[in-house]
Amino acid sequence: MVTIILGMSSNKKWFSLNLNSKKAESEDTCGCGKTSGGCGSHKPAIGEEAKKDGFDQVFDVKMDRRTAFKQLTASLAIGAGAISTSCSVISGDETKEKAQIDWEEQFKGNYKLMTNEEKNGTVERLVRSYQLRTGKTISMSSKNAEKDVLFGYAFNISKCQGYMDCVSACVEENNQDRNSQMEYIRIHEMKDGKGFNFNEADDNYYHEVPAEGHFYMGTQCFHCDNPPCIEVCPVQATWREDDGLVVVDYDWCVGCRYCMAACPYDGRRFNWSKPEVPEEEVNKNQHYLGNRLRKNGVVEKCTFCVQRSRAGKNPACVEACPTGARIFGNLLDPDSTIRWVLENKKVFRLKEDLGTEPKFWYFMD
Amino acid sequence: MNTYRATYLIGVCLLLIGMFTSCKHDEHEYHSITDKIKAESENYKGTTLSSEAHIGDLKTIEITEGDETFFIPERESHIKSFKCTECHTKPVSEMSSDDFKKAHWNIKLDHANSKTMNCVTCHNGNDMDHLKSLTGEQIRFNKSHQMCAQCHSRQFEDWKGGAHGKRIAGWAPPRVSNTCVNCHDPHAPHFESRWPARYNPIKEKQRE
Repeated sequence: MVTIILGMSSNKKWFSLNLNSKKAESEDTCGCGKTSGGCGSHKPAIGEEAKKDGFDQVFDVKMDRRTAFKQLTASLAIGAGAISTSCSVISGDETKEKAQIDWEEQFKGNYKLMTNEEKNGTVERLVRSYQLRTGKTISMSSKNAEKDVLFGYAFNISKCQGYMDCVSACVEENNQDRNSQMEYIRIHEMKDGKGFNFNEADDNYYHEVPAEGHFYMGTQCFHCDNPPCIEVCPVQATWREDDGLVVVDYDWCVGCRYCMAACPYDGRRFNWSKPEVPEEEVNKNQHYLGNRLRKNGVVEKCTFCVQRSRAGKNPACVEACPTGARIFGNLLDPDSTIRWVLENKKVFRLKEDLGTEPKFWYFMD
Repeated sequence: MNTYRATYLIGVCLLLIGMFTSCKHDEHEYHSITDKIKAESENYKGTTLSSEAHIGDLKTIEITEGDETFFIPERESHIKSFKCTECHTKPVSEMSSDDFKKAHWNIKLDHANSKTMNCVTCHNGNDMDHLKSLTGEQIRFNKSHQMCAQCHSRQFEDWKGGAHGKRIAGWAPPRVSNTCVNCHDPHAPHFESRWPARYNPIKEKQRE
């Protein structure tokens, strides 16, 4: 095992290169190592190991040699890129800005540990980066969990007709990869009289629905209150937010898929290739922890549409369901409809005996 | 004797320590999510979030049924030929002759059977602008749920509470729920069977 320890620091959780900053003037050496000429007079902050930042979070961990080399190579590549563009007289301001953003994004900390300012910072960078790459403007939120809110969901098995409008709405809302046809929601067609037999259920039917002698049941991430998936994450890239949402920091996920193995409900999905969404279909109303565009090799899942739910809206699946089988709301509000369902209908959850405490209940009329 | 006593004392100590640590004593630890919801919602005073902004241009009316007060979409302005008396200038019996233009040919009643329901179970030939309860009382089209509740009392209870009927706008208060006729055509209230919205051939391939 190799442990790489860089210096400790205090305020920011990552280094700033300040490549384009006119303020950071100095007569010292330039980032490219030259002491004179060629590359202007701004001094990159690289080397200021005295500050606590993303370096610590990236490197100050026990990792095996291969991972360490990988991290170093990736970081050096970005660093070298950033420095070469910053020193280049021919590359434009935009390229420099892009390099600066890439640098800061590479060395940012875990979202969970960020202050609100840092959260805003990364969101701004991501928005700007998207703008530089595509020329399109998106809006991205870093809205935190609201106080006195705990999200819960109820699914009426007698009402679901298997139309799968929810699945379509979810894919469009959450910018899921179109190539691999990723879907967070599965609707299981089950034979009457056989109970909840997932082995014999069909979750990819294509015939007129509802089919005679069958009922339909949807599954997705249940946002367990005691989620086993977050326990197994070796880098703490997934956690439970205060409003009960179980979320993933796609920039912190290393793609080990332990969480997928730990989830007893098949709630998580993995990007085996770079997720692609046609530009005109991209939902531009995004949240850092939600539907922002993902990359190759990270895990994602239902977030109860955090970009919508934290704004008071219903998740896309609830809005799309034509039968009203899906009920969403605040479990802490005694007057909410979800509470009425829990208190007045006979509800149950899947694999309750595991103690995962899913916040997703099923009920019948 | 002393060793017995010491063992006894240690035993009692361990038991006490066990009692104080095994069960929840940290107030943030609960045995189950139900306990947690119950405890944490005791002092619930509302949130800053609201569905108001998501209602948009939808015209709603506030209704109170039993203990529940919430909003439903306004209905009368959505009925194409409302007010009915603009055409129904005379009682229906007098208008059914060949002298008048045929109307409502597209409506075919598919709701219960003919022993239970026909047009005048809900409509009043003498007061076309309103519905009529089983006991002959006037019900406004805006409150047509009262019409349905006469027979579908179980669904009505679920709807009042929020287990039946789609919630629109958002989850946050104020609550806006679809009323019966927003999802069910009162003349043919069942849901039609149809093809699913999507099919995923790749999932099939991946599983092979």
